Amino acid sequence: MIRQLSQRLLGPVTLVLLVLTLWLGLWVTPSFEVQGNLARLVYVHPAIAWVALYVSFGTATIASALYLWRRTRSAVVDRVAHCAMEVSVVFIILTLITGSIWGRPAWGVWWAWDARLTSTAILGVFALAYLALRRANDDPELRARRGAVLALLAAINVPIIHFSVQWWKTLHQGATVFTPDHGLKIHGIQAWTLLISFIGFTLLFFWLLRARYRLEVLRDERYAASLEEALVQRRREGVR
Amino acid sequence: MLDADAPLDLTPVAAPPTKRRGRWRSIGVLAVLAAAVLALLSQGLLHSLNYFETIDQAMNSRAALGTKTIRLEGIVKAHTIVRTSSGASFWMKGGGQEVFVSAHGSPPQLFQANIPVVVVGHFTSATSDKFDGTQILVKHTASYIAQHPKRVKAPNGTTR
Repeated sequence: MIRQLSQRLLGPVTLVLLVLTLWLGLWVTPSFEVQGNLARLVYVHPAIAWVALYVSFGTATIASALYLWRRTRSAVVDRVAHCAMEVSVVFIILTLITGSIWGRPAWGVWWAWDARLTSTAILGVFALAYLALRRANDDPELRARRGAVLALLAAINVPIIHFSVQWWKTLHQGATVFTPDHGLKIHGIQAWTLLISFIGFTLLFFWLLRARYRLEVLRDERYAASLEEALVQRRREGVR
Repeated sequence: MLDADAPLDLTPVAAPPTKRRGRWRSIGVLAVLAAAVLALLSQGLLHSLNYFETIDQAMNSRAALGTKTIRLEGIVKAHTIVRTSSGASFWMKGGGQEVFVSAHGSPPQLFQANIPVVVVGHFTSATSDKFDGTQILVKHTASYIAQHPKRVKAPNGTTR
């Protein structure tokens, strides 16, 4: 019952949190000292990037690792990996788009080939390659296994993206929340709005994942049913 | 065509050879992936792993840099900005040293005094401390402080 309730509430709660983020971010929170109203994108871009790198890609990576381990290998885990990676592609693209929208007036350019941006673009390419690789294989087990291996390889890039602003000199700013000295660089209602946006976008991922997973289950069921129907048809043709 | 009344033939049948399309398509996907990653790496990380030189780094390697195009990072010194019809000139400081920048093109929206900037350009000569810039990028910090005209300071001097 709790599970059903939480599933029913996931969509509405996500919507409420995102609307709250929008309201607080645009109208309630004060503007910023240096960047003015431009930096209100801080309530969107970091949360989307957090979901892209850690939540969705992390889910896909963990599910892929579970698939490769015999004890936990199952169609469910494979579906989770596939669906999470699809959602990850969406969030990675949104990260790059919102970053560009912020970068143009802030930095003065839409794009810069610095370590953070380049490594994020590489992650997006890996995610797209995962989806292409799955479509390239007809055998379900082979498809799942090859995709899982690629996902784990791609996951090496995630800590590179995270630490790029510390390891190298980058145009992209350093961390505001997950700073090396664990100090927060945003305070008051702005920090609370940022937290709400992180939770809202994280729940959005889980809502999208659930919807996509249900679609995948229906697709698999339809395939199995059509295969069974085709076999029955063939048997009927053979015996008269 | 099978006869429903005839006995079934249970002789094992050899499976038809499986097509190897999937394998070749996988190789194709991985080849495209490798090419894309190499292209991004060559554009990005190999040329821009360290996106800029700081002023003290640049000044310490002046002889090696010459008039090569680099990205120079520093903080815009207050009361030195002069906006011209073609761009802006200002002094930039960093690591205890200063460089005079003459930049062409409109500076970005956030360009102002006391802000970190990255200027793309080159020193005017191998020994000069003047930097000729073709582009100014603003490198904003990770701190987000609210705009409050009458902000109250905490006893330890910090403001929120």
